[in-house]
Amino acid sequence: MKRFLAAAVMLAAGLSVDARAQDKTVVEFAYTYSYLFDVTFQRILPKFHAAHPDIEIRMRAAYKDYEDGTNTILREAVSGNLPDVSVQGLNRQAILVEKGIARSLEPFIAKEPDFARDGYHKAMLDLGTSGGAVYGLPFAVSLPVGYYNMDLMAKVGITAPAQLPKTWDEVVGLCGKLQAAGIKTPMFWTWNITGNWFLQALMWTQGEPLMKNGKFNLASDAGLTALETMKKLFRGCAMPNYSLADAQKSYSAGQIAMYFTSTSELGAVERSKGNWTLVTHEFPGLEASGPKGLPAGGNAAMLVTASKDPKKVAAAWTWLKYITSGEGAADVARTTGYMPPNKAANELILADFYKQNPNKETAVRQLPLLREWQPYPGANGLAVTQVIYDGIETIVTGRANDMPALRAELQDEVSALLAK
Amino acid sequence: MTTTTVAARRAGWAFVAPALTLMVLILLLPIAGAALLSFTDYSLGGSAPAWVGLENYEKILTQSRYRAMLEATLTYVLTVTPLSIGLGLGAALLIHSLRWGGAFYKTVFFLPAMATLMAMSIVWSFALHPTLGVVNATLGSFCGTGWLHQWGWFDAACRNGFPLWLGDRSYAIWTVCFVGVWQGFGFNMVLYLAGLTSVPRELYNAAEMDGARTAWDRFRLVTWPMLGPTTVFVVTITLIRSFQVFDIVEGFYEQGAGPSRSAYVILFAMYEKGIRENLIGIGAAIAMIFLACVVITSLVQQRILEKKAHYA
Repeated sequence: MKRFLAAAVMLAAGLSVDARAQDKTVVEFAYTYSYLFDVTFQRILPKFHAAHPDIEIRMRAAYKDYEDGTNTILREAVSGNLPDVSVQGLNRQAILVEKGIARSLEPFIAKEPDFARDGYHKAMLDLGTSGGAVYGLPFAVSLPVGYYNMDLMAKVGITAPAQLPKTWDEVVGLCGKLQAAGIKTPMFWTWNITGNWFLQALMWTQGEPLMKNGKFNLASDAGLTALETMKKLFRGCAMPNYSLADAQKSYSAGQIAMYFTSTSELGAVERSKGNWTLVTHEFPGLEASGPKGLPAGGNAAMLVTASKDPKKVAAAWTWLKYITSGEGAADVARTTGYMPPNKAANELILADFYKQNPNKETAVRQLPLLREWQPYPGANGLAVTQVIYDGIETIVTGRANDMPALRAELQDEVSALLAK
Repeated sequence: MTTTTVAARRAGWAFVAPALTLMVLILLLPIAGAALLSFTDYSLGGSAPAWVGLENYEKILTQSRYRAMLEATLTYVLTVTPLSIGLGLGAALLIHSLRWGGAFYKTVFFLPAMATLMAMSIVWSFALHPTLGVVNATLGSFCGTGWLHQWGWFDAACRNGFPLWLGDRSYAIWTVCFVGVWQGFGFNMVLYLAGLTSVPRELYNAAEMDGARTAWDRFRLVTWPMLGPTTVFVVTITLIRSFQVFDIVEGFYEQGAGPSRSAYVILFAMYEKGIRENLIGIGAAIAMIFLACVVITSLVQQRILEKKAHYA
């Protein structure tokens, strides 16, 4: 017994000495979509710990999706156990600023002598800017692109990327030809990504935002054109009401010729696809010159720490800066279909990488088109998303045929929700 | 009042006190809290909650999305309850009449009930994939079999492709119901098997002597009445479990609840409003309606069926 006690005392003493020797600053961190980003952080963490041995990053359980991320943070704010840094959906940052949970990054940026502010695209910084102050730095950014099964496209005589469609009218025309060639599902258009991203894509394509001066802007001419374009696409291509998962399976299995979705799916499609040639190409527009703009998807890192300890806050900032710029950000592109938000990372560190992975470069070529993925302000923000989802679904299922009527209905319902 | 009765009474209260405290703390208080919240517009992301009176309930009764909720819930409950009870009883009777091999069938039919419904709905959504799933592939392999083409539906499907079981609004809720029955009837079967073992053999012999010659007569006159208490229990449990359906819809649909909200069952609505969209007020109102449904069904059950049930 005595011996055991002595051993225990020595062990405890040893541990406490050890702890004092290391005395690390702990930064708690949480991110979204573990199935996409686990690999990314497995690469970033060792590099970061080697560069900053005095900081320890402690990972919390990942959020399931962006909505879950928002809800988790809101709950943690109430119960008082916020993490220090959190990765949130690009269009979900505003609510954390409104509630005073996110901290302004301006004081930290001001202290950085060589902060490459111009390394970030303006539209990306705008997403995390509120009242002139930056609250979130983009971490992983995506844009919609076209995915093509070149084996199927060859049946209608398209063999080179330059021949791929530039407008939605061309897409509809090709659908007819593909169907005549015996392909039952020529095209799938992922309208169901949160139900509103692709609607915003068609709006930005015409250079119009979906939220203008705080009001829902579907009542505009651009709104009607967006809905009519969807109807033309869904009817002309006989697009079935697939779920996102079903569509991805069918595309990977080589049953769908043209597939329009986020560049972020590229990693998953490349891993699961059958033996056929995949080529990505620019997202079509309404005119041959292509879209005038496209909404950014993806997420941003925010400083949400409640700590008053300057050392801890400084450590959190160090981590936040590391993952959003330079080498840390480059790992996002290496491990996922997302793009790093930083020009420097794209053009300097990754130049060779894109040469070897041309499919991942399509979205980078579209970067000048990048626009804001607009949030719907107020407590009903998520309910608005659902109303839009339900509305577009009626076009897909063939229930809605009168687009002006659908536009009026959606405009009324969303306006009523936003007013509250 | 004598001192002993007072003491006995005190002792009685002391004995039930722990159970009573727990019940108030973990059951009644949260229910009261939810009831209070249902009269507010509280939302996690929004400003301070305001008292809105019956507005949330009014919305549920008037707006079309909630009409879809009531429709889907009732369709599910009214389809799954009788079917899973009927199939459960049928399977139990068949297995009970077997001389050997009963254990095998028991296991097979009970397997779905043991599996997690959430995981099973993911498996089903693979099986029901419109072009790659095993269901449509199997159906498709019968195309070309002459006599089946006389069935119009099948003939059309062979030409135009088999249905999107989950994505077509004329099939979605029925597919959800099918998975519900598939999962639920094994459990009812086990309950009925237990009930059957307690029916005394002599009753059958006596009935036969009294002139009950056919199997149907024996079932109608002996088995069914003797299963009364089991039936009360099975019906109550199945009804409540049907009201509780959630995991199938959540597993099948990433967003929304089936095409045109055709599978927008009540618990899913509660989750979507209260948890996903943060609108706690309306979520609490749906929870209250759910609670009322469950309480009313069990009370009606008890009243009607207990009177008729014959306890031996």
